[in-house]
Order: sequence, then structure tokens, then C-alpha cells
Amino acid sequence: MSLVLFLVAGLFLPLFPASIVFNRGLARPNGPGRRALLLILWPQLGVLLITLAPAPVPDWLAAWALATAFLYAFRAVALRDLGLWIGFLATSAWALLWLSDSTRALRHLEALGLSLPLVLLTLLGGRLETLLGAVSTRLSPGLAASAPRYGGVLVLGVLASIATPVAPGFFTLVATIAARPLGASAVVITLVWLLWTWSGARLIQGLVVGPGSGERVPDLSSSAAWAYGMALAGLGLGGIAMAEVVL
Amino acid sequence: MLSMLVLPLTGALLGHLLAEALGRRVARLSIGLSLATFAISLVLLSRMLGGGPAGSLALSDHWGLLLLDPLSSLMAVVVSGISLIVHLFSRRYMAEEAGYARFFVLLDLMTATLLLMVSAGDLITLLVAWHLVGVLLYFLLGQDVRNPTASRYGSWTLLTYRIGDLPLVLAAGLLFHAYGTWSLPEIFAAMGTSPQAQVLGTPLPEVVGGLIALSAFARSAQFLVHTWLPYTMGGPTPVSALMHAGIVNAGGFLINRFAPVFVHTGDVLHWVFLMGLVTAVIGSVMMLAQHDVKKALGYSTMGQMGFMIMECGVGAFSLAVYHLIAHGVFKGTLFLGAGGVIGEARRDDGVPKDDLYTFVVERRPARQRRPWLLMAAMTLAVPAAILFVSHYLVEEGFFHHQGAVVLLFFGWITGAQLIFATYRMRTENLARLFTLILVSFTVVVLGYTLISHAFDLFLYPDPALRSGIYAAAGIQVVWFDALVVLVTVVIVLGWLFTYYAEQRRGRGRDWLAGLRRVSYRAISRELFVSDFYGRAARRMLAGAERLNIWLRWS
Repeated sequence: MSLVLFLVAGLFLPLFPASIVFNRGLARPNGPGRRALLLILWPQLGVLLITLAPAPVPDWLAAWALATAFLYAFRAVALRDLGLWIGFLATSAWALLWLSDSTRALRHLEALGLSLPLVLLTLLGGRLETLLGAVSTRLSPGLAASAPRYGGVLVLGVLASIATPVAPGFFTLVATIAARPLGASAVVITLVWLLWTWSGARLIQGLVVGPGSGERVPDLSSSAAWAYGMALAGLGLGGIAMAEVVL
Repeated sequence: MLSMLVLPLTGALLGHLLAEALGRRVARLSIGLSLATFAISLVLLSRMLGGGPAGSLALSDHWGLLLLDPLSSLMAVVVSGISLIVHLFSRRYMAEEAGYARFFVLLDLMTATLLLMVSAGDLITLLVAWHLVGVLLYFLLGQDVRNPTASRYGSWTLLTYRIGDLPLVLAAGLLFHAYGTWSLPEIFAAMGTSPQAQVLGTPLPEVVGGLIALSAFARSAQFLVHTWLPYTMGGPTPVSALMHAGIVNAGGFLINRFAPVFVHTGDVLHWVFLMGLVTAVIGSVMMLAQHDVKKALGYSTMGQMGFMIMECGVGAFSLAVYHLIAHGVFKGTLFLGAGGVIGEARRDDGVPKDDLYTFVVERRPARQRRPWLLMAAMTLAVPAAILFVSHYLVEEGFFHHQGAVVLLFFGWITGAQLIFATYRMRTENLARLFTLILVSFTVVVLGYTLISHAFDLFLYPDPALRSGIYAAAGIQVVWFDALVVLVTVVIVLGWLFTYYAEQRRGRGRDWLAGLRRVSYRAISRELFVSDFYGRAARRMLAGAERLNIWLRWS
């Protein structure tokens, strides 16, 4: 029974190669709203399934999850497209939830904390995609110069996604490492974290920095920037509050 | 204590919200709050110096503990002082740059983060601050958002810092797993009563000490994780000053903060010493091969950081704190003055064509055999005298302070050599020359001894902890003697080699000239370390791309 639940959960807290299903689904030409919904609900189903299983996650499955997290973090380094990056980072981050020792409620919270920054990025990226056709570093939009509010929010969203303090992901990762610091898993998690940082820095470098390609990118309105800013601040405050319960 | 953190945060928040309304006046607001922060930190330090009690403030149950102790109060003055100078300098220096308000917001955030780091009383707060310093530095270095080069090197810095963050995360995880608390005072107390805890068959303090040292190495640009430092000169000059005067010194602070862990280690401090030594030598050698002033200053910082880490490695923890303060002050001055010096030199090099010029620039030393031989003899005699004095005349406990002896020796050699090189071509008066050298020796000995003693008493009032640190760094007397002899031989051979190389200038052997060319090429290419990292990164990217194509991007 547990094994069946775990194998089905491997689709929702994606384990390679089942992760291909999620990433193909996310890459389909849906609107940003649907993608955002997928990013929120998909891991919650996975968490529900693994917490329903009567047995704890076996070691081989935890190792598989770690390998998946590493694989997608490594592959994310070479990505130039924001949409693909969101999918790969989600896959890599959610796979780490297999290693969490938290209670069911906390795992749902951790999954949400890892998803929300990616949801923000999806909503932001959808807007830009409508304007430019794609959100790729190949277009070198130089957002910081051409659309500073847009660039600023995008940068903060990427930072929150790669588990920069005080985003919820930071505390989730620290708690996961602290739960099992003796084995190789802690070292692999830190390497995954490092690869997220590298891929995030490359994305920021390609999308935000530079003189711009000449394509005019309309900036976020003041009210939209405020809304995104408040959402990011809420994410930070949520992370601080979450630290109280996960640590 | 909390107000010290809240003021720069308020500055950042107001600076962001009122940027349009205030315009250039945002700098005044930021400077005013920086001044207030500095004043508060001075008050806290003076209270601590006056014998005030150490304290703490808990902002929540599990983390957010702020410590007010001698180390945090001293470091707070350093951080807020350097930050204030950088703020003042930036007001006019950055006036023509885009993103003026953003720059001051980032400066304020960096100040708050650094203050949080030095006063962190638990592992989570420390990790949060430690991580954020790297992120904020990334944005400060990439202040010119149109300049991809500055941003690329900023990314490099961020990545190196993250490499250094991760061992600290692992160390935090291990400590929490072993003692069930994030609080540093509680962990140190528990470790004091049961330091025998094991991790995979290795003593816990040994593993944790090693991980903390690795974190300190990355933050303080030790060899192999140093490449970000000289390449970040594309950032604004005030950021270079802040980075070289303050941020890069964090490695020394971290080792001091975890001193109660290091007293229980066996070999970790010896490795720390070795790493510092290698970095000091390589940083100094690379500095000599630079033609760009700011890059030379970057490598000079690397050498100084190596020396600071070396001081930690020999157990002179408090001396390392003094070193980082002194280095911060003089390197900050140099960076802030570098632009002016370059501008001045473009108009007039101002170098007098005298003996000093011909020696330093044209590399034509005055040819006198007697001073060289006398100096070499003294180089040999002084360490022997130090050994004799420390072994037979000074109290037995002096053996615990072997590190201090090594540092005195290094300090004396450096100072004496500088005076010798500077004055020997100017004077025919040998008595004056050697009096100067002996005076330098006295100044170094007295200065180091007094300062070390004063800092020791202030930072580590517990005599058991003080002697424990020196004991952890100590080595067997035989090895100590052998090392001093080895260093003496190397220095004397270096003197002789330099002397004969200068004497035979232009008439050297082919193999020697070839060796010199190869060495120079390797040093000027920074020992190919950056090339290697660049190639490794490109290969990883190509590998990831191939994998993505193979898996059809999903």
C-alpha cells in the first residue's frame, strides 16, 4: 500500500522520470493563471499522498529524490527561458520534500513556501511573455534599465525562489539539513542549493542586467509594483513566521 | 542594541519609499542615520570597556537572539564606523551615477546585515545574516545595471560566497543535531561540558571547526576561493572600500565567534595556519605582478587576509581582530584615495628621480656588500635569540604562546626588511641604518605584545578560554623549533638569492632566466586558477545543455 502511494506521489513531488510529465504539462501554452494553480496544487497532492502512507519514506526513495533534485538543479544552470527555469526549480525543490521530517501540516506549508515565489515569477513572466513572445535571456531585455520596477520585482522573485533568507525556502532547507546532517544527503542538498544560486544568478544576469536590446518593455504600473512588493514582503514575513514552527 | 539594527533598516526603508520625493537628499537621510548608528555603537563599546555586563536580547523563541558582548560591541563600532565613512564618501562620489537612491538603500541594508551578523547569538540569525551579506554585495557590485561585466563578477562573488555559506549551514545542522539548540551560548556551554561528541567517528568539534574554517576561508578570500576578490574592481569605489575594509574580514570574526569550539579541536587550527600562510605568500607575490592599482590593492587584501587567518591558526585570535580593524582602516583609506591618486598620477607622476626611485622602479639597487651580509647575519641571529629567550628565560607558560613568537618573528622580518630596503641606498651611515632596524624590532615586539595583551583581556576575559585557544593551536616544541629553523633557512636563502641575482643582473644563467620567465608568466596569469575555474564552469554548462537536449527540455 505504502509503495503504491509513494509511486503515485512520485508524479506530484516529481521524481525523475515521472518529473517529465509535470514539466511537459507546465510548458504547454496555458495562461499564467493555470500554471500558477498547477504550481500550488501539484506538490500539495504529493505531500498528501506521502503523508497518507503508513510507512516512512524508504532510504532508496529518499536517495532517488535527492538525485532528482540534483539533476534538475544542474540542468537549470543551462536554461535561458524563465518558464522552463520555473519548472526545473519546482521539480528540484519539491523533490527535497521527500526528505523532510516535518509533520503533515508543516510539509504542506513547506511545499507552499517553495511554490509561492515560483507562482509570483509565473505571473510576472506571463505578462512579459505576452509582450515579447518569450522570456528568454537570449532576448537580453535589460529589464533593470528599460523597466526598473519589473526588473526589481523579478530579481526579488528569483532570490526568493532560490531560498535566499528570509524566504520560506531558506528555513525549509536549513530544517531539512538539520534533520539529517550526518549523511551524504546534507552535502547533496547544499550542492543543490549552490546550483540554484548559480542558475538564478545567470537568469538575473541575462534578463535584468545590460543595456537592453532596444525592444521597448513597458514597466509595471506603480500599483502593480506595490502589489508584487507586498506579496514579496508577505513571503518574507511568512518565512520568518514559518521559521518558528519548522526549526 | 536593537536600535543599532533598526536605524540602518529605517534608512533603507525610507530611502526606498521617499526616493522620488527626496532626490539627492536621500544621502543626507542615510548619513544621518549612519551617524546615529555609529554613536550608539560607540556608547555600547564604551560601556563594555567600562566593565558593563554582557547581555542578550531574544526577538523570538528559536532564533533572533542578539548578543552584546566584547566581540560584538567592538565589531559593531568597526562596521558602523567604516559604513559611515563610505556613506560620507559616496554622497559626492556617486552623485553622477544612476541609481543614487538605490545605492544608499543597499548600503543601509548592508550595514544592518553586517551589524546583525556580528551580534548574532544563534545559528539561524548568523546564517541569515551570513547569506544576506553575499546577496547584498552582489547588488552593490552590480550597481551599474548596464554593465554586464560588473554584474558577471558580482555573480562570481555571490557564488563563491554561497560556496562558503554551505559549510556553515552544515556546521549549524551538526551542532543542532548534537545539542538540540540553535543558541550559541547554550551550544558553547554544552560543548564545554561534553566536548567528546562524535560525528561519523570523528570528534564533533573537529568537524564543526573544519567547516567553520572553510566558511571563513571563502569569505576572507583564501587561496583557491580568492579569485572573486581582485576581479570585483568594476564595482563602484566606495563598494570596493566597504568590501576590502569590512566584509572580507568576516572570516576572522567568524573564527573568533566560534572560539569556544576551536579550543576543543586538535589539528584544525594547524590547517588554518597553513592556509593563511599559503594565501599570504601567494597574495603578496601576485600583488607585485599587478600593473593596475586597484587590482594590486585587491591582491594586497588577499595577502593581508592570509596573515589574519594565519594569526587565528597560531591561536592569536584577538590579534586577528586587531589586524582586521587596522587593515580595514588603512585599506579603506587606500581605496577611497585610489581614484584621486590615479588622477593625480596622470597629470604628474610626482616620483623624484632619486636613489629610492631607481631602486623601486628601475630595480637598480646600490651595490654594497656589507649591509647585505650584516642583515643576513641579523636575520639568522634574531630567531635564534627569540628561541633562546622563549625557551630558557621567559616563564614556562610562554610555550602556550608559540604562535605569538612566530608572529613576532614574521613582523620583525617584514619591518626590518622594509626599513633596510628603503634606507640602505640613502645612507652611508651603517650605524643609523641598524639602529633603525633595531628600533623597528622594538616597536614590533612592544606593539604586538601590548596590543595582543589588551585585546586578549578585552575579548577573552576568561583566562581558561585564552590559554585553551593557544593550547589548541600549539604544536610540539620539537616541531616548533624545526619550523622556526626552516623558516630562518628559507629567509636567509632568499636574501642570498636576491643579493646574488642583483649582483649578476644581466649576466644570469639561461636556466635561471627561463625559470624567472615561467614563474612570471604563471604569476601574471594568477597561477591559472581563474582559467581553470572558467573552463570547468564552461564544461559544466555545456554538459547541462547536452543533458537538456537529450531529455528534450523537460
